[in-house]
Amino acid sequence: MSTVISVDDLGIEFYRSRRRRMSMREMLFHRRTTHSTDTFWALRNIDFEVKQGEAVGLVGGNGCGKSTLLKMIAGVLLPDEGAVSVTQGVAPLIELTGGFVGDLSGRDNVYLTAGLHGMAKEEIDERFDSIVDFAGAQVRASLDTPFRHFSSGMQVRLGFAVVTTLNEPIILVDEVLAVGDKAFREKCYQRMESLLEDGRTLFLVSHSEHDLKRFITRGLYLRSGELAMDGPVEDVLERYNADAAGAGS
Amino acid sequence: MTLIDRTRAITGKRQVLWTLVVRDLRVRYSRSVLGYVWTILDPLLMSSIYFFVFSFLFKRGNVGHDPYILFLVIGLLSWQWFTGCLTGTSGALLSDAKLVRSTSLPREIWVVRVVIAKGIEYVLSLPVLAVFTLFYVVQGKGHLNVGLLLMPVGLVMQFVLLIGLGLLLAPITTLVTDVARLIPLAVRILFYTTPVLYSGDIIPHPYDRIVWLNPMTGVLEMLRAGFFNQPVHSGPILVGAVVTVALLFIGATTFGRLERSVLKEI
Repeated sequence: MSTVISVDDLGIEFYRSRRRRMSMREMLFHRRTTHSTDTFWALRNIDFEVKQGEAVGLVGGNGCGKSTLLKMIAGVLLPDEGAVSVTQGVAPLIELTGGFVGDLSGRDNVYLTAGLHGMAKEEIDERFDSIVDFAGAQVRASLDTPFRHFSSGMQVRLGFAVVTTLNEPIILVDEVLAVGDKAFREKCYQRMESLLEDGRTLFLVSHSEHDLKRFITRGLYLRSGELAMDGPVEDVLERYNADAAGAGS
Repeated sequence: MTLIDRTRAITGKRQVLWTLVVRDLRVRYSRSVLGYVWTILDPLLMSSIYFFVFSFLFKRGNVGHDPYILFLVIGLLSWQWFTGCLTGTSGALLSDAKLVRSTSLPREIWVVRVVIAKGIEYVLSLPVLAVFTLFYVVQGKGHLNVGLLLMPVGLVMQFVLLIGLGLLLAPITTLVTDVARLIPLAVRILFYTTPVLYSGDIIPHPYDRIVWLNPMTGVLEMLRAGFFNQPVHSGPILVGAVVTVALLFIGATTFGRLERSVLKEI
C-alpha cells in the first residue's frame, strides 16, 4: 500500500497570548508593541506516515495539538518547521457548515460547497438527490428556503451529507463523526463504515473511545505537543487512560 | 519564481474561483430587491451632484474634459470598482474566516475573487456609459476616437493594480486591526488627489508629476482616451504601469510572508 500522508519532523509555533494583533497606536507612539512575544511550540518533532486505507485515530488531552495537527494535514495551517505531504485529495469534516451562506437557499448552498471542495457541476447534478436524501426529508422540504432558516440540526446534516459525498480518498474528521439526532447519528456511522469499506483513508480526532474503537485500527497518542506513542488502537487507548488516571490522582 | 507558481496554483482552481465569484454576485443580488440598480445608482447620483456643484455653482467649465458629465461617469464608475475592492479585499480573509479555515485553496484566491466579482459589477455598469456616449454622439458633441483601444489596457492595468493592493492589504488588515479603520480614510483622500473629478491638466506643473505616481491617474487617462477631443499623456500611463507592477510584486511577497501568521490568527 502506498503512503498517502507523510508528516516529516513537523513543528508549529504559536503566540502564548491568544491575540497577536498589533495596535497601530502602540507602533507609532511607543515604537514597539506590547503584544506578547512569548511563544510556544504547539507541536514539535512529529514524524509519521499513513498508508492508503488505514484508519488512524489521534488521541490526547485538551490542548495537546490534535486539531492543529489535523488542520496542517488538511492544509489550512502551515507548519513552521518540517513538512506535511498529502498525495491524494482530502475531504475535511472540520467546519461542516463553513462554506454555507445564510442568505442563499439550501439548494444553492449544496452546489456552492460541493463546488468549493472541487466537485464539478455535472457530478453535483448526479449526486444531488443522494445528498438531499441522506440529509433527510425535513431538509428536502425546505430546499428552496434560505439556509439561515434551517434549524441547526438540519444545517449540520446537510453539511455532513455534502462533505461525505465528496469523492476524496482521504477523510479527515475533527470530532464530528456523527451529528444530529439519534436516528441520524446511526446513519452517519453507517456512512463512515461504507466509506472505510471503499478503501478510503480515515484520520480521526476524537475523545470518544466508542468511536475510536469502532472505526480505528491504529492510534497516535499526542502528549504536550509530541508524539508519545504510535501503535494499535487498544494499546494507545490503554496508555492514554493510564496517563489520564495518573494525572487525575 | 513564486509569483508564477502562485498564479498557476490559482488558475488550477479556476472552477472554484468561479464558484466563489458567482456566490458573491448571487449574495449581492439576492439580498436586495433593487439589485442591479444599486450598482449604477451610486455613480450616477454622485456624477449628477459633482456636475451640479462644479458646472452650476462654481461655473467652472475647464475642470474636466467636455462633456463633463461623461467625464465624471467614466471616472466614478471606475472609482467605484477601486473603492469596492480596497474595502472588500482588505477584509477578505476576515469576513470569510470560516471558509478560509476549512478549505486548503491557495489563499490568494480570497483576494482575487473579490477583485473579479467587483470587476464584473463594473463591466455590468458599462451600459450606463454607453447610454451617455450615445446621447452625446447623437447630439454631435461626442468625440469617440481610436483612443478607445486604450480602454481594455486601462482595465487590465486597474485589475492588476487591485490584485497587488489587495494582496498587500488583506494580510496586514488581519494582523494590524486598526488598518481597517484607516482604509476608508485613505480612500477618501485618494479620491480627491486622483484626477477623478478634474483632469490632470489643471494641476500646476511640478506637482502633476506626483499625481503620476498614483496608478489610477494612468488608468483613468487610458479609460478616457477614446471619449474626448483631448491629447492623451503617456507620462502617467508609463509611470503608473511601473508602479502597478511593483505593487503586484510587493503585494505577492507580503502575502506569502504573512500567510502563516494570518492562518494562525483567523
